[in-house]
Amino acid sequence: MRKQRTVFLLLLPFLAVTALVLVSVWNVLVQSFGYIPAFGLTQPTLSYYKAVFTNPDFLSALRVSLKIALWSAALACILGVALSMALIRLKKTRGRAVYLVRFPILIPHAVVAVFMIQLFSQTGLLARAGYALGLVEDYTRFPQLLYTPGYGGTIAAYLWKEIPFVAYFVLAFMGSISDSLGQAAENLGASSARSFWEVTLPLSIPVIARAFLIIFIFAFGGYELPLLLGATMPKALPVQAYLAYMNPDLRQRPLAMAMNGVILLLSILMSAAYWYLVRRASRRMEGSA
Amino acid sequence: MRKFRFWKLFLAVTAFCILLPAAQLLLWSIAERWPWPGLLPESCSLRTVKELLFGSAKLPQLLLSSITLGLTVAALGTLAGILTARATELYDFPGKGLVTFGAFLPLLVPGTVFAMGIQITLIRLGLSDTLAGVVIVHLIAAVPYCITIMTDVTRAVGNKLEQQAMVLGASPLRAFFQGSFPQLLPGILSSMSMGFVLSYSQYFTTLMAGGGRVKTLALVLIPYIQSGDRALASVYSVTFAGSALLVFFLFEGLIHFIEKRGDGA
Repeated sequence: MRKQRTVFLLLLPFLAVTALVLVSVWNVLVQSFGYIPAFGLTQPTLSYYKAVFTNPDFLSALRVSLKIALWSAALACILGVALSMALIRLKKTRGRAVYLVRFPILIPHAVVAVFMIQLFSQTGLLARAGYALGLVEDYTRFPQLLYTPGYGGTIAAYLWKEIPFVAYFVLAFMGSISDSLGQAAENLGASSARSFWEVTLPLSIPVIARAFLIIFIFAFGGYELPLLLGATMPKALPVQAYLAYMNPDLRQRPLAMAMNGVILLLSILMSAAYWYLVRRASRRMEGSA
Repeated sequence: MRKFRFWKLFLAVTAFCILLPAAQLLLWSIAERWPWPGLLPESCSLRTVKELLFGSAKLPQLLLSSITLGLTVAALGTLAGILTARATELYDFPGKGLVTFGAFLPLLVPGTVFAMGIQITLIRLGLSDTLAGVVIVHLIAAVPYCITIMTDVTRAVGNKLEQQAMVLGASPLRAFFQGSFPQLLPGILSSMSMGFVLSYSQYFTTLMAGGGRVKTLALVLIPYIQSGDRALASVYSVTFAGSALLVFFLFEGLIHFIEKRGDGA
């Protein structure tokens, strides 16, 4: 009995945090169904979701956010794993090289936006370098890389931060696999490439998938980078949702929450896919052992 | 070694891509004139920096309040991490798997969605537009990482020393502080440093929960970026990133110091 009370007391802060997250999710869902008694809305309805899904602005915002999230997460995982392998192969898993990799993790997103503007704007460093090399006659001729509907600048900003994040996130795990089982495969005659592709990489898939999931959800729900580096139209989904949320017309509130509901739904779907894949992978691993 | 040439090149390119924008930001923050198409500024001065740090601007005050907020979140998040990790690593109870899942939960709800959803609850609790409200929403972002770090450390340390101390008659609290705490300390510091960084770089959650009344560096910087004021945005960015790095390296230094002393003893 006493032990149970101790466990409960120890878990109190955790339970408080979890409760807050669940309450927030509940608020989003309830309001997205149009139940906001304070605004005189008391009849639950699906009409706000219908309205959102027939709104072309919302649909293009959804496309934009999906694109940002997928490109950022996929490229960050591929290049991040490569960076992690570089550190492992060169035996630089401690010290200065690791601080280099941790550096972008410490830089706030707003500052990364400044980086991108100073590099890629029409008067940025890239354009100046192009001029110095005689490739660009004038800054007006330099292609617009930021604020485009393609959201390339936003994706670049996420990559600057998230490639090192993935490398750091998977480094310890991949390093220990590579040093133990990978090394064993090489001792048995496998080339270093083969031991990477057939031993280290497959065993690290769950960790890499977790990094993918974290980045996907973060970029999908991210606000300041698409706001600072993206186009005016189409907007990213969280930017669009915040705009509706802050609209003085209070009937926009349930629409904002329906957009948040869609963000939430997709985040949950991605998480479910992650759990399904990781469980299948771990079962296959046990089956073959 | 020919076979490492590719990896060396890859690492060198990465280092260049990481450091180039940082170096350029430093130059922008001290550039007085840097017209197109120069690759370097025409003239440099510390005028803007001085004005912001020592002039009428409220940068030092802003810096202090942002850092205090970050450290508060770091301490509370780490405390939550220590307690949760003790429950899951040192005790058996039904529903442990749910705790593991729950610890991951805040990462599955984007911060923007969470902030818009929780606002009505904060208003009802009277916490909207207050510092306490901001601390609470920042904690949601920090706690998953604090729990992960503290779980790993607690698993490694266990509670053997603590139990021995209790057998010898120490109170549970004393047993924890004299038995496990010194061994947990490096983990506690890295959890704090992670919590600090997460709180320090929050923008949207601060905007929503603080209603613009709780000012942080992120909140002040973003309007300068939007208005295209390069000089001000650069100086604020240097202060913002520089102070984050400074606090991080203070924590790192402490960790090294403790670990070294531990080896010597």
